[in-house]
Amino acid sequence: MSLDARVGIVLVSHSAALADGAAELAAQVSGGTVAIIPAGGTDDGRLGTSAAKVERALKLADGGAGVVIVPDLGSAVLTVRALLGEPGDLPTPVEVADAPFVEGVVAATVAAAGGANIKAVLAAAEEARHARKL
Amino acid sequence: MPASYEEAITLAGDLHARPAGALAVAAAQFSSAVSLTVGASSADAKSVLGVMGLGATCGQHVTVTAEGPDAHEAVAAIIAILAEATRVGA
Repeated sequence: MSLDARVGIVLVSHSAALADGAAELAAQVSGGTVAIIPAGGTDDGRLGTSAAKVERALKLADGGAGVVIVPDLGSAVLTVRALLGEPGDLPTPVEVADAPFVEGVVAATVAAAGGANIKAVLAAAEEARHARKL
Repeated sequence: MPASYEEAITLAGDLHARPAGALAVAAAQFSSAVSLTVGASSADAKSVLGVMGLGATCGQHVTVTAEGPDAHEAVAAIIAILAEATRVGA
């Protein structure tokens, strides 16, 4: 079971530093066995999102079991949706998680590290909406 | 018939994010349902956010309960992680 491909995770943030930091944290918590690819900021390094960065990240994250995308705020979702709506050779399946950014990424990555399939990884991310931290 | 098994441990340190992740990944390898109980709070051991949300700290008593065909192995694995991960200086 542990030899099966893991679901990959892509973080889409307006900030490259935020995406990189969340990816670093999730890798530590999950033990480093999952592909977690940050796609933060614009192509020229400003705050914003980039379809080209997301596309590259999806290809890097795909290990054959699909990819779950966790976006940070509204227009990151628009960038992701526009990209997924275009014809192209993106990996499949791809799911977009409706989840808080940090908690969602950590929960999704730990689920993926445990060998969960893409539906279970997506569910773990979305259950983060209800997780209490106090 | 699914077996139920339970064991308790007193934490030697706080239960931080990294051991919570290791614990959830380990729990996912078992088909049994596994839960942690600290005081009046319980969490699914397979949910990293649930485990972190317990806020378990040094000196607290954690009960690990599993129900299912591999309950005994699951509890042993989780107890081992709790013992190692919260060891002072770990």
